[in-house]
Amino acid sequence: MKTMTEAQLSELERDLNVIRDAVVADLGERDAQYIRRIVRLHRTLEVGGRVMMPFGFIPPVFVAATAALGISKIIENMEIGHNVMHGQYDWMNDPGLHSQTYEWDTVCTGESWRRTHNYEHHTYTNIIGKDRDYGYALLRLSDDDKWKPQHTLQFINYILLSVFFQWGVGLHELESERIRRGEIRLRDKLPFLKDFFRKGGRQAFKDYLFFPLITFPVAPVVLAGNLGANLIRNLWSSTVIFCGHFTQDAETFTEAECEGESKGHWYLRQLTGSSNFTGGKWVHLLSGHLSYQIEHHVFPDLPAHRYPEISEQVQAVCRKHGIPYNTGSFARQYGTVLKRIFAFSLPDRLRARVPALTMGQAT
Amino acid sequence: MLARQNQSKALQWLGKQLFNREDPAAFFDPLLERVNPMWVQQYTPARVVQTLQETSDTKTFVLKPARRWQGFEAGQHVNICVDIDGTRRNRTFSLSSSPILWQSQGLITLTIKRLPGGLVTNWLHDHLEVGAVLGLGEAFGDFLIPEVATPVLFIAGGSGITPVLSQLETMAAQDYRAPVSLLYYVRTSEDVIAGEKLEALAARYPALTLSIIPTHDGASPRYLSDGDLGTVPGLNGRQIFLCGPKGLMDLAEELLQSRGVRERDIHCTYFSAPRANLEHQALGGQVQFSHSNIEVGSEGDANLLEIAEAAGLTPQYGCRMGICHQCSCRKTSGTVINRLTGQASGPGEENVQLCISVPQGPVSIDV
Ligand code: FES
Repeated sequence: MKTMTEAQLSELERDLNVIRDAVVADLGERDAQYIRRIVRLHRTLEVGGRVMMPFGFIPPVFVAATAALGISKIIENMEIGHNVMHGQYDWMNDPGLHSQTYEWDTVCTGESWRRTHNYEHHTYTNIIGKDRDYGYALLRLSDDDKWKPQHTLQFINYILLSVFFQWGVGLHELESERIRRGEIRLRDKLPFLKDFFRKGGRQAFKDYLFFPLITFPVAPVVLAGNLGANLIRNLWSSTVIFCGHFTQDAETFTEAECEGESKGHWYLRQLTGSSNFTGGKWVHLLSGHLSYQIEHHVFPDLPAHRYPEISEQVQAVCRKHGIPYNTGSFARQYGTVLKRIFAFSLPDRLRARVPALTMGQAT
Repeated sequence: MLARQNQSKALQWLGKQLFNREDPAAFFDPLLERVNPMWVQQYTPARVVQTLQETSDTKTFVLKPARRWQGFEAGQHVNICVDIDGTRRNRTFSLSSSPILWQSQGLITLTIKRLPGGLVTNWLHDHLEVGAVLGLGEAFGDFLIPEVATPVLFIAGGSGITPVLSQLETMAAQDYRAPVSLLYYVRTSEDVIAGEKLEALAARYPALTLSIIPTHDGASPRYLSDGDLGTVPGLNGRQIFLCGPKGLMDLAEELLQSRGVRERDIHCTYFSAPRANLEHQALGGQVQFSHSNIEVGSEGDANLLEIAEAAGLTPQYGCRMGICHQCSCRKTSGTVINRLTGQASGPGEENVQLCISVPQGPVSIDV
């Protein structure tokens, strides 16, 4: 990580706070209308998808229905669920958009996600050993993890994780790796597991049982469409999230580096540990504006549709302090993610021999 | 009845499975609202059908709630919610019309005075126009007319007349057969709310004795006095209803007590949170907000809502004075003192209203 003196760090903190305060002071009608419009869009797509699905025996309708339902789930999970549960719209005082009570359309319970994501991941971003989102305790993505033979196949693991992403996220809090290592007992996780099965069961019931059954003669079509919609959502959200922190130049940190860190240091870590990708308006909407992952990590509770507006200011702050601002096209950023997953599946000595596989920050 | 309940239980269960929410019907609200705002399920929508300027700073809003609204009794209040600059605001107001108007025409009225600096009351006056829709909760409150006709005295001040208007109207319609007196204090004769309506009531309802007393018309202020109470025949046999600013209520209670009126014959309704005398109790302690893993110390000078907000949390709230229950949260352990009643809670799990609860020792709250 770039080294800055405490004085520089507090200046960075002040510079970023100025941006934040301006947005907070300006929150109001426009933001409320934005999120309400997105909620309407989600409801329209979901209702439309569900209504069309039984007619999916006509191939173009099947494609349209699956796409509508898939996109509706993407919007609900990314732009609505993720952002609402970050508290971005709590100031609206609307019970339907409140961080503590929102429950999203995915297997992971809102409660568990608030603990593992809002708290753990956003506090300990990219600190190896503390941020369990880093590689999801499944993938080796930096030298801080020692290479083991099983890592050779981690590309397959990655694909499986993407396909079943909602179940992976749902089970994240189980901390299976720590259970395996004997650090905690399965018994301690029983309350979590109970919630997991209840929510997971509900999700599976709805998409794989209820909607197919009430459309009985065409049940297989509806089942296939619902599976397809969930798959689209899983692949897309995992890709967006991988692009946010596992690109070539996204930095990782050690626990020692971050001990007793100041707010300025935390800001610096968020800026250098996250990565953006560019794209059109739709790309930003469908990624819940996590295409502005840097802005999101610096200001997780500002309404996400504001990130594009403040991005230029955040970049100016980065330039002023000589901090890299990691962005690029979606294809480029995703390419470097794949490269990272592949590179770290190899033992260090082997990787060192292929110049194309050196990672920017590998030490 | 039971069957219907079971059915709605089953529907609720299904709704939870399909929409991941306690109020499945509200899933469709964003769409329904566009088609017809009166179809919204999350709250009961009520359309403004008329506004009447009562005095220079008081308006009456005539509302037509969606038919599923449960109705009310004279003297009760309701929560309303309106979106002001993107933020949903909840406030509590007394219903000023009689339940008969609701039963016969499906209409209710709220009579609202501008509060100096008040965000919501001023917004209502300036922006709430005929045709607009606001959200309504179910009516609540136990400021109710005696079931068996007994002599009654109302002491009202300023906009504290609103629940009394509803009660008087109801009594007149029911031909409530016992003497009813109203002492109504207003700043100047300009500030009389619903003056004509009161006169008309008194004219057609002979049991009613009406005295409207301006406090600031003369050179020196003329407040409620023992003499005023002396004009009410059989004071000690009456049920007495107080509604108005705190100063008037305190004064009235004092005078009534010195005349030997029993505590249980006095009924009050509050418009601002009174501070029960908490001095003799040791207050304050560690407050743990268990959902957010935050723990803060408190001195006993702030309520849980303020403590939570100071800690950077944003619990839901409405009135901030113990009326609307928007701020109700689960307390999992510890004792809190209710500022309205001065009562201590139990030590275990229960719902508490954050805005009027002060910790007494360590407390954990699900926020
Ligand atoms: S905010 Fe209304 S009761 Fe607490």
